[in-house]
Amino acid sequence: MGALSIGGSQLDASWFLLLAAVLFIMGAAGVLIRRNPLVILICIELMLNAVNLTLITFSRQLENMEGQLFALMSMTVAAAEAVVGLAILVDIFHVRDVEDVDELSEMKG
Amino acid sequence: MSTLTSSQSITLLVLLFPAAGALLLAGRGWRLPRRFTVIVGPVAVWASFICAVNLLLNKVNADFTYGTWISSGTFSVPFNLFVDNLSIFMCLVITGVGGLIVTYSVGYMSHEDGPSYARFFTYMDVFIFSMLLLVLAGNFVFLIVGWALVGLSSYLLIGFWYTRRSAVLAARKAFVMNVIGDVGMILGTFVIFVSYHVVTYRGVFDQVLPCGYPTTGIHRPCLIINDTGALELAAFLLLVGAIAKSAQLPLHTWLPDAMEGPTPVSALIHAATMVTAGVYLVARMHPIYDVATYAHGAVAIVGAVTALLAATIAIVQTDIKRVLAYSTMSQIGYMFLAVGIGAYSAGLFHLLSHAFFKALLFMAAGNVIHAMHDEQDMRKYGGLWRQMRPTSISFLVGSLSLVGVIPFVGFFSKEQILGAAFSKPGDSATLILWAVGFATALITGFYTGRMWWLAFWGKPSPQRPVEHPHEAPPVMLVPVAILAVLATVGGFIQTRALGIGPSAVSDFLASSVGAQGWEETGAAVALGLVTMAVAALLFVAAMRMRPWSARVPWAQRLLEHKYYFDELYDAVFVRPMDGIAGFGQRDIERPLIDGAVIETGAMATAGASGLSLTQSGYFRNYVLVFVGGAVVAAIVILVRASS
Repeated sequence: MGALSIGGSQLDASWFLLLAAVLFIMGAAGVLIRRNPLVILICIELMLNAVNLTLITFSRQLENMEGQLFALMSMTVAAAEAVVGLAILVDIFHVRDVEDVDELSEMKG
Repeated sequence: MSTLTSSQSITLLVLLFPAAGALLLAGRGWRLPRRFTVIVGPVAVWASFICAVNLLLNKVNADFTYGTWISSGTFSVPFNLFVDNLSIFMCLVITGVGGLIVTYSVGYMSHEDGPSYARFFTYMDVFIFSMLLLVLAGNFVFLIVGWALVGLSSYLLIGFWYTRRSAVLAARKAFVMNVIGDVGMILGTFVIFVSYHVVTYRGVFDQVLPCGYPTTGIHRPCLIINDTGALELAAFLLLVGAIAKSAQLPLHTWLPDAMEGPTPVSALIHAATMVTAGVYLVARMHPIYDVATYAHGAVAIVGAVTALLAATIAIVQTDIKRVLAYSTMSQIGYMFLAVGIGAYSAGLFHLLSHAFFKALLFMAAGNVIHAMHDEQDMRKYGGLWRQMRPTSISFLVGSLSLVGVIPFVGFFSKEQILGAAFSKPGDSATLILWAVGFATALITGFYTGRMWWLAFWGKPSPQRPVEHPHEAPPVMLVPVAILAVLATVGGFIQTRALGIGPSAVSDFLASSVGAQGWEETGAAVALGLVTMAVAALLFVAAMRMRPWSARVPWAQRLLEHKYYFDELYDAVFVRPMDGIAGFGQRDIERPLIDGAVIETGAMATAGASGLSLTQSGYFRNYVLVFVGGAVVAAIVILVRASS
């Protein structure tokens, strides 16, 4: 892996990827483990941002702007997704107070 | 369509008035006041009658073509109405007697509630329209349409009281029997079309008779066509239709059951008009039957046999309407006999006189049934002579006319048939037909007398449902009275039986069906007078006499079971069909057809409920599967990338 220049200092690209991996695993673990719906949403955002970081890292390293463009698009989609997710949650909260997503298992077969 | 002449318009109006009446009353017509129904129902028929009288006065004799109905290659069906003296004659009978009966129904059906009341008159007007279409049709296709429509309206009217199981069964039976006839008609028309490539009457008759259709009033002898095979076949097939519609053997079993319908229906459809359609058919097709001699003979034989058998069955019936039904079959047998030996005008004159006196009998019987709260067993009447004098007199007039007593109309028409059969030259077989007709006339005298004495004479039966019956209201009595007058004096329009006086009916019909080719002999007239005198004596004697069949138990049983025709058809057709249908339902429909559909559904349900176990409803499970899947996919990609 080559070094990337950030604010004058050189930093190896693998550090960025490592950070992204850590963030992604934290997000995935949060979605799997946590029960609070809001926290789950936050964790999803975390995963998305980890991916964005990866995209930007590779973009800089390969000197290809497509990766950064894709990151911007991914942020737009993430914003829209957050709106939809929050709207669903607000609607659910109108009906009842949910602290645990396991309470929402009416669709059990 | 170009502009119509006045005769064309009037001919069309004959048809359209009843059709318009039916349309007005159908649908939501019953929501209008009851007075609306009372006016529209009968007026539609009377208006049609006035148009028919107009046709008569204008001496219309034409084949009106209004347009092309179907045109496909060489096959073309025009919409044409055939107006000649025969169709005018039939129109007058249908609308005249029909008008009286529909007017009578205003009183008879008055106990029905609003919707049923309007429904009844709708059906009646539909029937009148269909019957007029049948007799005015100028081609075989419209004939079949009218033929099927009268069957339909008959079905609707027999089953009018559709909550009664027996009425529904009777309606179904009548419909099935009539459809057998319709199939015969349709096949006959196919044969005619295949042979002559036209379906209009004129087109067919012009080819059948090289001398042309006898519109000149002179019945010219026609050249004999060598190839009569197709004509014989067509004539036999048409005869099947005629037999079914006219309740002749062996398709007669529906008519007695049809008495389940309201009495005006029995009077109009099952006595005066529809059942005589077969006679009309043979008379209308006389150019064919004149050539198809075997089929023509079959008409006469069927008629004679039916006349005799039906009369014998009538002896033991106890339901007043059933006696009248069997006597109707018997009298139509006479008409078939007449048209079958070529005495067309005699048969049609009997059709007219029968329409008078049988409608009269049915309506008078209707008055009695109405007064007796729907009791139809004659044994439970008795003594009505004192209490219902006008109805009793009318019924007596009808009975005497049926028996053939001078001077009632039945004498002249029946005598003409018997005379024609007796004196037809060069054909000794007609003497046998005459003998059958003679025997039938005597039996007619007996069973009519039995009916009259049983119902109206003597003391009131202890089982009588009503102690003091009330006479019918004027709306029911006036049509009966009119028919009673017609049945009394109507015979004098044709007194040919006595060798003197006018012969209006025969002269009128000669242009359509030809004049009878032979004259009655004096011996025939004398024999006719004797026959009717003996019949009248039997009528009187029936007061005290018991039928001979009562002394012979097996004969009594045979008659009471109506020669086991119903049982026979049940065993030969109904039960095997039920068996096949039951087998099909039990062993084919349920396991195979239903089974396949039900199994497919069941399999889908089972599969779905199996798969639904994977849907735990817990969010984290879905995420776990998702993440696990992603991990597996990543491993696969990595392994493949590194190898």
